Amino acid sequence: MVKADRWIGILFALFSFYVCVESVRFGLGTYQQPGAGFVSFCAGMILGVLSLALIFLAFSRGTKIRKTWHNPGRVVMVFLAILAFTLLLEWLGFILAAFLLIWFLLKFVEQRGWGFSLGVALVVAGASHVVFDLWLRAQLPAGILGN
Amino acid sequence: MDAIEGILYGFSLALTLKNLAFVFAGVLLGTLVGVLPGIGPAAAISLLLPSTFHADPISSMIMLCGLYYGTMYGGSTTSILANIPGEAASIVTCFDGYQMARQGRAGPALGIAAFGSFFAGTIAVVGLMFLAPTLASVALKFGSPEYFSLMVMSMTLVTYLSQGSILKGLMMAALGLILAAIGLDPVTSTLRFTYDTLVLRDGLGIVPVVMGLFGVSEVLLNVGVTMNREILQSKIKNLFPDRKDWKDSSIPIVRGSLLGFILGIIPGLGTIIPTFLSYGLEKRLSKHPKKFGTGVIEGVAAPESCNNAAATANFVPMLSLGIPANPIMAILLGALTIYGLQPGPLLITEHSDLFWGVIASMYVANVMLLVLNLPLIPLWVQILKVPYAILYPLILLFCLIGSYSLNNNVGDVIIMCVFGVAGFLMKKFQFEPAPLVLALVLGPMLEDNLRQALLISGGSFAMFFTRPLSAAFLVVSVATLLLPLLKMRPTARFRQQEE
Repeated sequence: MVKADRWIGILFALFSFYVCVESVRFGLGTYQQPGAGFVSFCAGMILGVLSLALIFLAFSRGTKIRKTWHNPGRVVMVFLAILAFTLLLEWLGFILAAFLLIWFLLKFVEQRGWGFSLGVALVVAGASHVVFDLWLRAQLPAGILGN
Repeated sequence: MDAIEGILYGFSLALTLKNLAFVFAGVLLGTLVGVLPGIGPAAAISLLLPSTFHADPISSMIMLCGLYYGTMYGGSTTSILANIPGEAASIVTCFDGYQMARQGRAGPALGIAAFGSFFAGTIAVVGLMFLAPTLASVALKFGSPEYFSLMVMSMTLVTYLSQGSILKGLMMAALGLILAAIGLDPVTSTLRFTYDTLVLRDGLGIVPVVMGLFGVSEVLLNVGVTMNREILQSKIKNLFPDRKDWKDSSIPIVRGSLLGFILGIIPGLGTIIPTFLSYGLEKRLSKHPKKFGTGVIEGVAAPESCNNAAATANFVPMLSLGIPANPIMAILLGALTIYGLQPGPLLITEHSDLFWGVIASMYVANVMLLVLNLPLIPLWVQILKVPYAILYPLILLFCLIGSYSLNNNVGDVIIMCVFGVAGFLMKKFQFEPAPLVLALVLGPMLEDNLRQALLISGGSFAMFFTRPLSAAFLVVSVATLLLPLLKMRPTARFRQQEE
């Protein structure tokens, strides 16, 4: 973790610098009347100092412990699936997007059979439409099916 | 309104058919969430929150509190039967609960967990009923310096008590404060960090952030590892503990309940640390400490009682001061704001129906959980057998629906996805999300109070140190930050035990 901490520390330090610059732009005000950027500037400064401390500690302790990442491909696939769901939700509509999400996760991430993944996806999409759309009136988008 | 009058009024609200149904739904869902590994109370409450927008605030809060309660009960079932804690507060229950189950004593372990939780929950609700109004009346005398210092203390306590590096915890708290600044500044109407995005104008919503950090990230972590669930197949019998079990457990239950309640009041302690302390205390006081971990009933009774008492005590600072003790309380605090209620010391007097209704519903929830849980254990065992490969697509879908239906806006879903990945990376690189969530919730209040205090004092920071209560809170904060230097931090020890 220590090696990664160096890079994380650097990223946070850069981020805190950006926050401080933006906060100055919002206006720091005075001590009597703090401006819109006062608190975020202080928080940015604190984050900056802490990031430098993290970098210092990471360098002074040297490299050790290498974190192993299990099945990164599956994690990426799941993330891409929910991202696609988010971007396509309003166009496809909830029922179709939910069906595709569940089917994709079961078929391609979990590598279940066609029949099983299609069946579960159909049941889940239908049931969640009944529960959330019709019963709880969550006003989920109808998308192309609504048109 | 005194406590007796208040609780009677509360029962008149909680015992209506509608609110009974809400309590029932809450505790049932809560137990289910507690049973299922991979989704905790924070994500579950966030998930359910949008569906409560159509109900009145009292019924909604009753259901959400019931859900929180239910998870505490449900978590013990998986700890005992599968050696997997359904939620973090049940980690300790695995030590002796699972060993008891392996010895064919799953029944008494589940039974004592349920009875202990019932006793602790009831005692803690009585404590909450008397303590919260008293604390709220004291808090009415707080000015902005006291509030500011109290919030600083809460954040440092949460950082100090969270697992992992305190430096990283503080970084997360600072990041939370920066994220809390996003949106329209209420004083100058300046837009901060919004980048012409409509969804950011009102600030980052606590619900999508929590769903991402605790729901989506948990799924991303779990799909990367193979979950090995070994559920005991033998028939569960003798749920009622025998005379010896009662003799061994009764004092630990009382001790666990009292310890849990006292520690649960302190912002930041949550429910996990008290359970470890309770287990450690019982082990130290036991005549046979070496037997702990081999299946002694005290090792189940004390921590299970403790986590329920602590869960109830967490409501004390939230309802009386408007200060959340942990991320779950932060979401409930956010829920109160969404329902149009102002959290803080005036909540109890201005919305006595909500306060007493929720308190009375906790009594009802305790009884329901005791009556429901034991007969439903076979059902929970069946649910535990559902493979995670089927469960997580459902968890993800519910998170996506929940975040969308907050404002019917895809922007909230994107925020959830971003924080899902952030939470995944945070856990991978050992950054705790709890300080971030707390700072995000407390940030706007902290900013308001700081600005007000500086305005009143004419720009002098001395006010924070010359007012006794404010100074006391700040002294605790500084001491909390200095303690790690003296290597007096308890969580490192707990983490070793957990591993």
